[in-house]
Amino acid sequence: MFAEWLFTAFALLSILGAIGLILFRHPMHGAMSLVVTMVSLAGLYALLSARLIFVLQLIVYAGAIMSLILFIIMFLNIQTRDLPEEKGRILYLLGGIVLLVPVASFLIKVVKSLPATEATIVGSGFGGVKEVGLVLFQDWLLPFEIVSLLLLVALIGAVVLAGKRRFVK
Amino acid sequence: MTSLDYLLIALRVAFAAFVPLCFIAVCVWMERRGAGFFQDRSGPNRAAIFGFRAAGLVQNLADAAKLIFKEDVISGHIKHKFIFVLAPVIVFFAALVSFAVVPFADTLVLGGRSYIMQGVPVDLGILWFLALAGFAVYGIILAGWSSTNKYGILGGLRSAAQVISYEIPMALAVIGVLIVYGTVNLNEMAQFQGQLLFGFIPMWGAVLQPLGMVIFIVAAFAETNRTPFDLAEGESEIVAGFHVEYSAMKFAVFFMGEYVALFVSSAIIVTLFFGGYQVPFLATATLIDNARPVAFLLLLLLPVAMYFFAGWIRRNNVSHYPRENDPRAFEAKVYIRGLWGLVVVIELALLAILFFASPGGPAAHIFAALLQVCTFLVKVTLMLFVYVWVRWTLPRFRYDQLQKLGWQILLPLALLNIFVTSAVVVILS
Repeated sequence: MFAEWLFTAFALLSILGAIGLILFRHPMHGAMSLVVTMVSLAGLYALLSARLIFVLQLIVYAGAIMSLILFIIMFLNIQTRDLPEEKGRILYLLGGIVLLVPVASFLIKVVKSLPATEATIVGSGFGGVKEVGLVLFQDWLLPFEIVSLLLLVALIGAVVLAGKRRFVK
Repeated sequence: MTSLDYLLIALRVAFAAFVPLCFIAVCVWMERRGAGFFQDRSGPNRAAIFGFRAAGLVQNLADAAKLIFKEDVISGHIKHKFIFVLAPVIVFFAALVSFAVVPFADTLVLGGRSYIMQGVPVDLGILWFLALAGFAVYGIILAGWSSTNKYGILGGLRSAAQVISYEIPMALAVIGVLIVYGTVNLNEMAQFQGQLLFGFIPMWGAVLQPLGMVIFIVAAFAETNRTPFDLAEGESEIVAGFHVEYSAMKFAVFFMGEYVALFVSSAIIVTLFFGGYQVPFLATATLIDNARPVAFLLLLLLPVAMYFFAGWIRRNNVSHYPRENDPRAFEAKVYIRGLWGLVVVIELALLAILFFASPGGPAAHIFAALLQVCTFLVKVTLMLFVYVWVRWTLPRFRYDQLQKLGWQILLPLALLNIFVTSAVVVILS
């Protein structure tokens, strides 16, 4: 029962944060509401007993990435007047809602038609650091290495692109 | 759930919440008296209640009264008032919550049930600390930004860039530690450090990971924005940095948050590298089996230590010029009597353990846990003293020196540490 209340709270907060990200005019407020979404997603992971994913979500998304975004917003000192004026904002919003209504009603229908199943609670070791590590480095070693190679390429690319300006001068 | 379960849960949560708060007072006192000691002066020791100065601790009460009754100003130019007020709260709570995973005693076994001695029973350990260390930077960024003040923004920028840079060597130093201990759980790490290397050296992280320890401690200094890394405040350059616009209790919350962060990072350093709650040479099992000899030893040592401490108080707590009926001598007498009373109470408790505790019984378990709590707090206090020591000894870095140290020295060293450690671990296993 308590877990259900928590789930509802985190789900509501994550949706509210996402709405805030779109609706807030000031970038700093938008970034802060994205932080709320990230943290409540972490809470949802924790409810699903994915402890490692929970803490990684906090470290990587809510911690590192969002603080870099905040840092950039502060560094460039973006104010509301620096942003392009958005005319017809309300119209776009209404149009989007009208477009989304059939999709949303379809999704609700699909979810309702799902057969009721008994949920079993996974063992106490599920989602811990050791368990995820073992799966990652035994069953999924090749995909893991490929993904890390991809990230490395992106990293080196970023460094090269950032450093290029110096050679041009 | 029995009533004992509820009692122990309440105790452990209360410990995790209130001990860091109490240590704010200890830290502030140690900082000021330490500064006095290093600069060859007395430090604040005049504030008194009926002539009792408690070695300068009363000064904290005076400060608290001052900060509470000061006018709380939010200047008119600050547009984002909500974020402005939110920022110190984030700093304070991020610091306080990160203490929740630090064990302050080994798992207590009572009546066949075991109780984890940390604020929140999660096994994420050091990962939780790293996650919340990332959150503290939000408070600083938001404070600097919402102040709408050049000094504030400069302080926020410096601090954010510094914390983000030093998180990397810190996390890499932690990886070396994880390879050695094979766990992220701080309690298991502390249990590992209860073993003995070659039979006579405590297997502490400081012995197994000396390079990792140096990197972690330097990075922890930078994370807590302490001198020599306090460019975020840099009084001589940017007045007070990110908290220049804050007054009264909002400033006090920043101030307390800084000291809570200091306490927590000392606790983490102690747990990772100095054996955590382990009494040197006495692992938990040994301690429980030998509760009576240990209690006997303490029974003998405590009065001796108290005798010398009383002499030290009597010699030092006097007026520096001749006075009739020296009030300080009277003060010293009261302190000494109070402390002797405390010693007598502890002696009685030790006597009870000596006579009634069976080896491995519940009394022995509780005795071991209490001894470990005391050991943990003593170690953390010593580490806090190191923080004070460094602050009043080293000058501040220049900004480019700070970034150079982080990226060009600590980062390669941390990577080297990982490779060497994993090679050694692979060879030994």
